[in-house]
Amino acid sequence: MFATTNTSVKNTSYKVVLPFYLYAAISFLIATIFLLTSTRAFLGHYFQPQILAITHTMALGWGTMIILGASHQLVPVLIESKLYSNVLAYLSFIFAAIGIPMLVYGFYVFDMGWPSQWGSCFVAVAILSYLINIAISITKSKSENIHAVFVFTATVWLFLTVILGLAQVHNFTQIILPADSLHYLTLHAHAGIVGWFLLLVLGIASRLIPMFLISKYNNVKLLWWIYALVNLAMLVFVALFLYPGNNEFLFIPVLLIFISLSLFIYYCYWAYKKRIRKQVDEQVKLSLLSVFMLLLPVMLLMIVIIFLIRSSQQNLNLILTYGFIIFFGWLTAIILGMTFKTLPFIVWNKVYHQRSGLGKTPNPKDLFNNNIFKIMAVAYLAGIIIFSIAILLYNVLLLKTGAVLLLFTAVLYNWNVLKVFMHKPSKL
Amino acid sequence: MITINADTKIATLLKENPASLEAIISISPKFNKLRNPLLRKLMAARTSINMASKVGGCTVKDFFNKLEPLGFTIDNKVERIESTAIKQVPPFMQNINAADIIELDVRAEIETGKDPLNIIMKAVKQLKAGQLFKLINSFEPVPLMLLLEKQGFESYAETIDDNLVYTYFHKSQGAAIKEIDTSNASEGWDEMLLQFTGNLETVDVRHLEMPLPMLTILDALDKLPEAKALYVIHKRIPVFLLPELAERKFEYRIKEVADGEVYLLIFKK
Repeated sequence: MFATTNTSVKNTSYKVVLPFYLYAAISFLIATIFLLTSTRAFLGHYFQPQILAITHTMALGWGTMIILGASHQLVPVLIESKLYSNVLAYLSFIFAAIGIPMLVYGFYVFDMGWPSQWGSCFVAVAILSYLINIAISITKSKSENIHAVFVFTATVWLFLTVILGLAQVHNFTQIILPADSLHYLTLHAHAGIVGWFLLLVLGIASRLIPMFLISKYNNVKLLWWIYALVNLAMLVFVALFLYPGNNEFLFIPVLLIFISLSLFIYYCYWAYKKRIRKQVDEQVKLSLLSVFMLLLPVMLLMIVIIFLIRSSQQNLNLILTYGFIIFFGWLTAIILGMTFKTLPFIVWNKVYHQRSGLGKTPNPKDLFNNNIFKIMAVAYLAGIIIFSIAILLYNVLLLKTGAVLLLFTAVLYNWNVLKVFMHKPSKL
Repeated sequence: MITINADTKIATLLKENPASLEAIISISPKFNKLRNPLLRKLMAARTSINMASKVGGCTVKDFFNKLEPLGFTIDNKVERIESTAIKQVPPFMQNINAADIIELDVRAEIETGKDPLNIIMKAVKQLKAGQLFKLINSFEPVPLMLLLEKQGFESYAETIDDNLVYTYFHKSQGAAIKEIDTSNASEGWDEMLLQFTGNLETVDVRHLEMPLPMLTILDALDKLPEAKALYVIHKRIPVFLLPELAERKFEYRIKEVADGEVYLLIFKK
């Protein structure tokens, strides 16, 4: 058609992206409510219904949903092309949106019957739609981009994670795996944490952090090293899982991850050093903090392995703390920061791009309340520190205190997200 | 489908339903120019149905009749005062010396796909009292006539043939080119562009990969002289640049002419 001569750089429609953000915000709120009502679960074993329900609300409803939403917008920008299909994007939202609550409900009541079985299938369909969409978008683009390669590889790991998870769920009622479902938990968890979340966040953050700092620093070679190290660590871990040797060998993947994280911190340091923008805003500060937070779980993991070697015993509360710091610490910190570096801009585009040219438009930053953000950040940091200490000390009162602070964080987060969503154009 | 009225821009129609292009062309052969993507880009965003009906020598009603079957809802309430359709030769056209006529032919400029508004405004600003500005163009530039009318210009368009129109502009007695009141923050794109005519520096960042557009623009702003404005040609609205501009106390206006083509005007208040 004549009217559309140049569609090559078309933005992904906000209609595709915004539902993911809203869903994630609500999931975070629900997860923190679960956290408050299930504090006692944190005194026991990690393979426990409520812990599984909270973990999957956080990993899928919160982390994965917001990443899917943001990357539908971001990947086309990275590869200088457009998203292959809006229909696939909607499908991935709808299937995930239905599947996640079914799965979480199944875990919570610990009924591995039809809700969790169908729920896990729906999640798998959602991720497959996303994987196909991203794969075709990237193949169709002319420009190769390392950040897009990170995203694609991470999505492959996510798909493998989900398929294994699906098998684990179904394995409760009919035997399809050679061992019991608990046996595969470490593999499932780490394919998700390292293969999906870590690889993806490194890939995206390595683009966004220099961009938000307005830094001229660029080091593609270093990023390829990081990419190789994280993937190698996962492959070694899978090999060790399938052909178990001495527990000492488990240090190899941890060490590889430690090196890749150190390289990433080095990357961020130079991006920070060479920045043009002198005043770093709160959102980027919180995201930078999350980069350092990554070292915490790695150290905890090393201690866990040392315990494992010494006594072949799992140290349960260390493992719980490890998981908590990953999902509520690192992952949440980066999302809390990055939400307000992306969402207001998407909504701004929705509200104002048609009206541009008419006159003055507001600053996208003014679509959310920065003071609420600051209070949220403080409540959040206090919350995770108190809750982590409480798990290690088996202290119920501290667990409750931490959980209340995190619930408060989620309420403020939702408030600010809704404020952005409800933004009405100012009178021009 | 959206509701349209006489003030609806042609660009909006095309964006909402690409089929409206053929519908509009079928109203008058004069709209064949819209087939040219460059002309379409330039004109469609500035031209309302009301203005277009004058260019095409038809009525707003003709537009509505063609557009209604495409699913547009018609709002008849907005009636525009016919302000530019001066059919009789106005008094300012009489008793004019050939020496007082300043000519500008923008056909070549449009052919090469450039927006001629800039050079037109430059010429208009240099116009002395009593002089007449003659614009040579391939169509009746109704949007420009309206824009300059606000600045105190009378205009008269003389159609020579289908592809040649002379438009004369005359400064009304006593009316200086109004310095636009800069305290009014709601000034639109065209007015701001007018204000910075002759004081523009242009930077095209369309070929650059992220994040180079932002860095290039910020670099250019660092070097930008105080009274000048930066004219940016971009692929999309650079939303992440906007807070940076606010931080540096720059104002901006944005004009999105098509997917993949956005202009920005950045200036200090």
